[in-house]
Amino acid sequence: MTSKSPTLASGSRLFRSETVTPLILIALVAVLVIAPLVKIVLATLTPDGLAAWQAVLASPLSQNLWWKPLANTLILGFGVASGCLLLGGFLAWLVILTDVPAPRFLGVLSTLPFMIPSFAAALAWGTLFRNSRLGGSAGFFEVNGIAIPDWLAWGLVPTLIVLVAHYYSLAYTIIAAALSSVGADLIESAQMAGAKRPRIFFGIILPVVTPALIAAASLTFAGAVSNFAAPALLGLPVRMQTLSTRLFGMIETGSGERGFVLALLLIGVSASFLFLADRVVSGRKAFITVTGKGGRTKRFALGAWRWPLFALAVLLGVGTTIVPVLVLAASSLAPQSGALFSNWTLHFWIGEGGGQMAQGQAGIFRNPVLIDALWNTIKLGLTVAGITMVLGLALAHTIVRRKGTLLANVLSQLAFMPLLIPSIAFAAAYIALFGAPIGPFPSLYGTFALLVIAAAAHNLPYAVQSGRSVLGQVSADIEESAKLTGASAVRRMLVIVFPLAIRGLLAGAILVFVKMVRDLSLVVLLFSATSPVLSMVAYRYASEGFMQFANAITLLILVICLAASLVAQALQSRVQKWKQS
Amino acid sequence: MLKLLRSALLLTAVCLPATAIAQDVTTMTPEEALPYLDAMTAEELLPLALKEGQVTVFSLSSRIARVEAAFEAAYPGIDLIGVDLSSVKQIARIKAEQDAGVFAVDVLYLADTPVVYSELLAQGRIHNYLPPRVAADIADELKSPLTAHRLSTKVLMYNEAAYPDGSPISNLWQLTTPDWRGKVLMVDPGQRGELLDLLTEISLHPDEMAAAYEKQFGSPIAVDSDLQGAGEQFIRDLFENDLILVANSDVLNESVGDKAATNPPVAFGTYSDRRDNEDEGWALQVANDVEPANGILFPAVLTLANKAPNPAAARLVIDFMFGDDSPTGGPGFAPFNVPGDYATRSTITDDPDSVPLAELNAWTINPAAIAAARGRIADLIITLQ
Repeated sequence: MTSKSPTLASGSRLFRSETVTPLILIALVAVLVIAPLVKIVLATLTPDGLAAWQAVLASPLSQNLWWKPLANTLILGFGVASGCLLLGGFLAWLVILTDVPAPRFLGVLSTLPFMIPSFAAALAWGTLFRNSRLGGSAGFFEVNGIAIPDWLAWGLVPTLIVLVAHYYSLAYTIIAAALSSVGADLIESAQMAGAKRPRIFFGIILPVVTPALIAAASLTFAGAVSNFAAPALLGLPVRMQTLSTRLFGMIETGSGERGFVLALLLIGVSASFLFLADRVVSGRKAFITVTGKGGRTKRFALGAWRWPLFALAVLLGVGTTIVPVLVLAASSLAPQSGALFSNWTLHFWIGEGGGQMAQGQAGIFRNPVLIDALWNTIKLGLTVAGITMVLGLALAHTIVRRKGTLLANVLSQLAFMPLLIPSIAFAAAYIALFGAPIGPFPSLYGTFALLVIAAAAHNLPYAVQSGRSVLGQVSADIEESAKLTGASAVRRMLVIVFPLAIRGLLAGAILVFVKMVRDLSLVVLLFSATSPVLSMVAYRYASEGFMQFANAITLLILVICLAASLVAQALQSRVQKWKQS
Repeated sequence: MLKLLRSALLLTAVCLPATAIAQDVTTMTPEEALPYLDAMTAEELLPLALKEGQVTVFSLSSRIARVEAAFEAAYPGIDLIGVDLSSVKQIARIKAEQDAGVFAVDVLYLADTPVVYSELLAQGRIHNYLPPRVAADIADELKSPLTAHRLSTKVLMYNEAAYPDGSPISNLWQLTTPDWRGKVLMVDPGQRGELLDLLTEISLHPDEMAAAYEKQFGSPIAVDSDLQGAGEQFIRDLFENDLILVANSDVLNESVGDKAATNPPVAFGTYSDRRDNEDEGWALQVANDVEPANGILFPAVLTLANKAPNPAAARLVIDFMFGDDSPTGGPGFAPFNVPGDYATRSTITDDPDSVPLAELNAWTINPAAIAAARGRIADLIITLQ
């Protein structure tokens, strides 16, 4: 569409909405993303910082500090991204485009793993595959006489599997949103022209959802390279370090500059891969499928494969969702963390305090702080998700409509970066930026607003990437016709773009909500009120050694996320009524 | 110059009779009263603190919630805002806040003293405060440069169910022998400051480590040419004997402590985790008779933030957290009175089940020396992984 937009000719055009909107967006992104990033860069240009650059890149330490962790990180990043595309893509195809039994059930099952914290999946892996390397009680397989070699119990392989199991639902969410906008008319015309199924798949469906595949690959890649829990729990016993464990360790042991240097390098490496991915998409023609008419989705008949594929999908869901949930549930019921399936009690949920159990602590539902925390959590999650969604829509719209331009490239790169900035550095930069009053604006220090702004920036990539993948398919024709009839930019956004892209946007909003509700690191650094959020309550319990309480709260968080995602699904079918034919 | 003036003022404050100050201070502006606050008793601080009405405390322990309840019961009218933050995050946050001109925190309760000394205290971001009431009860080395509240441990732990005759380790160098290959655990010192401090402290005792080597192997130690002293050699030998690193202390305790285990490993862990033995089915016990030492004792310090907005209430909280004169320390100290941790006040008695502080065979860390040597040991560890 860029070819149609005339070049800037006169000064008066500068004030037209087409020009002003991107300017506002650039300003926003500059404040939200570039400013903290610059802060971090500056921190590495002090004498200590320069020494850190040298230690990381050109010293006897480089091998173990940078190159080996980089190799592990890239293997994880690419492995997880391809694994997630395969699994998430397969499930999305099955649920959206075929007549598989119980698609809604499968759909819900496939969105769950992302809501379960990755440490739960890592713990579940340990429960099953743990071998004698660490001593203590052996895992399920060893107890039953099946010896587990070190490479399957610890290190790269289990980390890769656990991360794929955690992140494939992210890919599913995004790809499913895009697939659902592949209209029946496209496929039916191909069928009428005599195209065979593989040809329809490779010739129509795959090209149409390519932006979604790229978006999913980028997000899962970034998720995998920045994940800390899984590589730490499964990798450290065999001394496998990734950039994220190194980065965390550097900050934790007081050499923050080295941590920031690693973070910047990680951003550099990821940004260059993202840039390449972007080139791949920009280099080809876009396929516009959402045209405002039709919009029904066509379901393929699976025939004899209907039940086997259903079974396979259920198996995937059970392995990656039910098993970790069971482990969490069991550990919230078992008094001893070493014996998960014995002496179950509900004490940690509803027990009265004062007894011998858990040093006299009452169950979580008797903790007066909990209800408070529950509301705070939901309030925070909804606010951040809402703001991020609006901002993400605006950004994604600009990026998509100006595809191929420098502006779009820069915006899309910037919108992606917050994922890779360590939250401790991000939060510190935010305090530095907004702690002092700026001109007429009062200091935001310690306010809910600051937390919301920082969180929105931190989660921006989810909203932008998922918005992009769907907006890329929305035809510009409808918008342009509306423009001709004199509809304002805001009105066009509300009446046309928003309803058409609702599924992708809600998918993004849910991802942000889930991230916000279960994440701790950013919140803990910016929150100064005593009224906590759920993840902080869970952290308090965990740091006191009461893992059962912590796991009970994690399950509660899971229920909230699940409820949010069901609400989003209902909302989406109300807005897109034309799909219910 | 200002500093000199300040300390001069402080000196005069200490010399003046306390009651006289209290009367003066109530008529002074808060700025004028500031220099006198350090010498005031809790009773004298109270009216000023009530005027301030609230106080913000960063705490490395979530037990601050229980302190909050006890404090507000003891001093109604003062709202304690307790924020549960790890030491690393407290340091990051206080630096960011103060650089932005925000002075919102009054009291910091944190460990990680090597970093605290070099990055907070040396830059004037925090100030030492020793409540006059407890000054006589605390050993001199624990009063300055910052006042320690209690001592925690990273010491060698073993499984007393699997080794009923006592610790299988009597000399640290045993851990580098083939018998213990792949059977020594610790939380990755590249991830956690306390463990890095432990290894750094070991490196600071080269002579004792050399003597222990000779005792174990019968011949003097030969230190690799690129290393400085027997302590660093121990660190290298330990890593090369397949030291197993884990992500957190839960994993560690379960692996070492499991009551049913045969032939379990040993680990550098936290003595006070022994309190969970019964609940968790563990048999964790400290290995105390170890040459030359079984690990480290490190302080958690209570300190005032620079330009604390509620200076009187801040001092009142610190005074309160040091507990009353009873053997348990009363409600102010109770949340921290756990076996395996040690109060710095001599009036508070140690748990009868744990090794008394005087008999615990651990090195008390020297934060300044560790701060100087830490980087070198961190680099050494990176090359060993």
